[in-house]
Formats: sequence, C-alpha cells, structure tokens
Amino acid sequence: MRGTVQPAPGRSFPGADHKAPAVNLRGGWALIKSTWAMWIQHRGFFFLLAFGWMIPPLIYMFVWSTAAGGDTVSGITRGEFVAYYLVLILVNQLTYSQANWTVGDVIRSGDMNTWLLRPLPPIYNTLSTEVAGKVVYMAFVIPVTAVLALVLRPELHVTPRDGLVFLPTLVMAWALRFFWGYWLALLAFWATRADALLALQDALVFLLAGQVAPTALLPDPMRSAATILPFRYMVGFPVEVLSGQLSSAELWVGFAFQAAWLAVAVALFVFVWRTGVRRYSAVGG
Amino acid sequence: MAKAQIIVRNLSKTYRVPEREPGLMASLRSLVRRTTRDVEAVRDISFIIEEGEMVGFIGPNGAGKTTTLKMLSGLLYPTAGEARVLGYVPWERSPAYLQRISMVLGNKSQMLWDIPPLDTFHVLGEIYRVGPVELKQTLDELIELLEMEELLAKPVRNFSLGERMKCELVAGLLHRPQVLFLDEPTLGLDVSMQGRLRRFLAEYNRRSGVAAILTSHYMADVVALCPRVILIHHGELLYDGELSGLAARLAPFKLIRVALRTGNGLGGNGDGFDLPAGVDVVERENGRLTLRVARAAAPEVTAHVLNSLPVADLAVEDPPIEAVIDQIYQDETLEGSLPEGVGR
Repeated sequence: MRGTVQPAPGRSFPGADHKAPAVNLRGGWALIKSTWAMWIQHRGFFFLLAFGWMIPPLIYMFVWSTAAGGDTVSGITRGEFVAYYLVLILVNQLTYSQANWTVGDVIRSGDMNTWLLRPLPPIYNTLSTEVAGKVVYMAFVIPVTAVLALVLRPELHVTPRDGLVFLPTLVMAWALRFFWGYWLALLAFWATRADALLALQDALVFLLAGQVAPTALLPDPMRSAATILPFRYMVGFPVEVLSGQLSSAELWVGFAFQAAWLAVAVALFVFVWRTGVRRYSAVGG
Repeated sequence: MAKAQIIVRNLSKTYRVPEREPGLMASLRSLVRRTTRDVEAVRDISFIIEEGEMVGFIGPNGAGKTTTLKMLSGLLYPTAGEARVLGYVPWERSPAYLQRISMVLGNKSQMLWDIPPLDTFHVLGEIYRVGPVELKQTLDELIELLEMEELLAKPVRNFSLGERMKCELVAGLLHRPQVLFLDEPTLGLDVSMQGRLRRFLAEYNRRSGVAAILTSHYMADVVALCPRVILIHHGELLYDGELSGLAARLAPFKLIRVALRTGNGLGGNGDGFDLPAGVDVVERENGRLTLRVARAAAPEVTAHVLNSLPVADLAVEDPPIEAVIDQIYQDETLEGSLPEGVGR
C-alpha cells in the first residue's frame, strides 16, 4: 500500500530528504555497551549458562579419551581427543546464538514495537546482544578451558595453513549458526511457539556437528548427513580444521558447503524478516 | 503559515481475527478448519493536523484510537486509504521518518531496566544520531522541566510508575521529534503526577512547536492540553473540532444550579414550584436545585426561576465533559442520530 497524498494547495511539507546513512555503528556500539552494563549485574547467571553448555562436550571428551587409552581410535590419540574437545568447547561457545532465544519473546510480548519505532534495523538489537554476550561468556570459558588444558595435556599441532583457514571458517560458522537460528526464531511472527525449532536445531548440532563424536568417526549414513546438512558447519568444521583432521580436498569442499549454507541462511533470514514484518504490521503487534 | 504535518485521507484498517467456540472439541475443530472474522478497527477516517497543534483522540476502549496511532507511526499497514506525516508514508518506515517522530506508550517501556536512565538516554542519543553537545542541552532542558535530577543515578527497575513515565517522556523527546504520538501517557498515575506531566507537555509543545496526537481516558488530560479533539467511535470519526463544541453539539443542554433562601415557604426544596415544560430536575436537596434545560431555552427558564423562586444564588453551566463523553460512549445508536454538521 503506497500513499499518494500530495500537500493540499497552500500547504507545504518540511523537507523529506530520505537521507540517513544505512549503517549506524555508533548506535550498535552503544547498544553493546548498555547490554554489558546490564549483564555484568547478572554475570553469575550467565557464567552458569556457559558452564551448562560446556558439560556435554566435556562428557564426550572423557568418553573418547578413555576409549583411546594409550592407543588410538581411528588414528586419533587421547591427547588429540582432548585438544579436539577443548577447541570445540571454545568454538561452541563462540558460535552459540543465545540472542535468538529471546527474539520470539520480543515478538510475542509486543516489545518488537519499540524496536520497529527506532530508526535502526531491529537486527542491531539481536546482534549487539550476540557480541556483548560473547565477551561475557568468554570471560568464564577461556580461564576454565585454560585450566583444563594444563591438567589434561592436549596434543595440538597447528599447521600455518590450518591456522589461517580456521579464522574465516570460525567467523562463517558463527554467522551460519546465528542466521539459521534467527530465521527460525522469526517464525514467531506466525507461530507463537516457534522456539521449539531452536531446540531442534540444538539437538541436530549436538548430533551432527562433532559434539557426540568428530564427524570422521560417525557411522556412514550419519557422516554423509553431517557433510550435506548445515549443522556441521556451525561448530565441528572449524574444529576439524584447527586440529588438522582434514585433507586439502576435504577442507575446500567443506569451505564450499559452509559458504553455500551461509548464503542460504542469510537469504532465508531476509525473506522471513520481510514477510514477517509485513504480516506483523498487517495483524498488529 | 502553519504547515500540515499529518494528513490522513480515508484511512481504514480491518483485522482478520481467528474465532472459535470455547471447549476442547472446538479447539480440535479449529486445528482442521480455522474460522476467522473481519473486524473493522478503523473506517474511512480523514483529518489534517498542523504544526504546533495538540489534538486529543478520544473514544471508548476499542474505538480504533491506538490502531490509528500505530498506522501513523508506521507499525501497521492500513487496509485502505492514505496518510502522509511530515511528507512521508509512515508504513514505509523510512529511517529518516522514524528519526523525526516519537511514540510514547503509557503501557510499554523503552527504558533499559537494569541501568540508570542516563545510560539509556545516551544509547538512544547514539541510535538517533544526536550530537553530544545537542544531547546534553536537550537532556538538561527536559530534566529541568520534569524536575527529575534525583532520578538519574538509580536503576529504572526501582522507579515508581510516575518516575518511569518521566523517563519515557525524556526518552521519547531527546531527538527532538517534529511529530509526537502519545498513547495514554498518564495511565495509572496519581492526580498530582498527572498534573505535572500535563504542565510539562503543554510547556514542551509551546516551546518546540511539535505537532502531537494524544489519547487518554482522563478527560482532564484532554481538557488541559488539547484545544481540538477528534472523537472516534466504532472505528469512525464522529467529531473533529473544539472540545467545547463537542459538548454543545452532542449534549445540547445546560445545567441551571439554584440555591434557595432558607425559610422560602416552599418546603425547603422548592417542592411546590411549577416547572415549565421540557425542564428536568436532576437534583433536589438541602435547598438546592439542579435543572437540565435545552440550550436555547436556558435564558427563558433562568428568567422564570428568578421571578418565581426565592433565589439566593444561581449559575448556568455546561454539563461536565465526562458526562457528555459517557453519554456518547454508551449510546450505541449514536452513529445514525448525529446532529447535522458534526465533523468538519
């Protein structure tokens, strides 16, 4: 619906110039700082959440390193399992999008109105919670992982190639996990309890993204599924890269899959956001 | 010359709402086949609001006031019709438009609860790209007008409702919007806080020349702030004009209050007094009479009362605005029976 009202004769509009810069980094940064200010007051709560997210990978670390004993499982030694899971704990924490869990509430409660009334795309709110959250969680997870590394003697031999490729795969893993969760969360525009799909995403990440076992150790139908579906590229893939488990061919195929899924996730987000806001503004918040 | 800041033409909004009978069977049936019902929240309303005008939106709950405000602030798409605010189509939600307006909702907060209000104000300053010097100047001015220096250092979660509302107003005004939508800004506040916010809004409107639409169920808000009112009922615009004109048109009568001299020989209350036709006695006690008469008949009846009764005091008044409004809200058949010339 586009309006075509013209000023009545003798009336004039003040200059409607439509010229506001598209990106407002200072606004985003201010949101991040305010989120920190609020979260610091509840840091105990967030540290407990981070602790909870560390437990499943820790359990599987102990299972696999015990299984390897003094020998190897599929060529992976005890120390390599420890290294794999310690990196996985960090990557899992860095890529986990906690912010997506609150998007549904914001839509249901009508607080989305407050976001939509501001000259700042609402994704800024979610992204700034993401960034602020990473810092708070890392303040807990990094020291704990460091202590575990001192006690459990991991074996990690990083080649320059793997180290270099790790960073972009990590950033893309975060972006993929974030946008995938975000488009699912935005389904709350239609179904009030769309968060259930986020729980399903978590379960699939747990099974197929290298938490239960490194992808290479999965039985065949699951390994093929892990290679094709997006979930491995949210956590397991960068961990495999850094721990040197991948041949050049596997690495580039994985990179291509990751990039493709990221493109799909962003496209889904854009589509769901646009149609969702249209629906929201048709039915009322 | 005043500029037209808000132009609304034939705006309508119809909601499609799901509908089902109560009970388990009905809920199972609704899984298979959803039945919906169309609700016309706003029907074909038009008006123009100029720079510096403060207009009161009145109407009972569910009349369509908030739906109209939501369309004008870009939160809702209309089903039909057009609107321009500051030259923008609101529901395109262009950032340049959102930068120039503000909507303050009495029942929603945009304050961050865990931190002192000054922190929220600075975040909003960045979001709205207000320069630091201008932000400080605006904040100082608003904080002084609202007398809220002592609130700035404590977290918002510890505030009373009135204190929080002061913060909402500052948050809504610090980017100096040109158009302001106020939805129930005094909701739930005590009388003296309502009064203070009213004085603030009046002063702010005088200083800034902002165009504002205010909805409120407290008629005192509307009486104090809005020379012009728009009455919406069942989604339709029933009246647009001066508040006093609303009373004159929709409640075309006056009240004559008479105090009788003691020992008047009429049983104390003027019991034996013959009233002219068409005069109703609203109240009769302790030597006081309140009569309701048609507007046109008021001078004649007043003269008659003065001539035939021992009057100690007499006053001719308009009925209280609350009574007029209440009569409109309750009168379901009003639409068909509006006096000629209502609306503009």
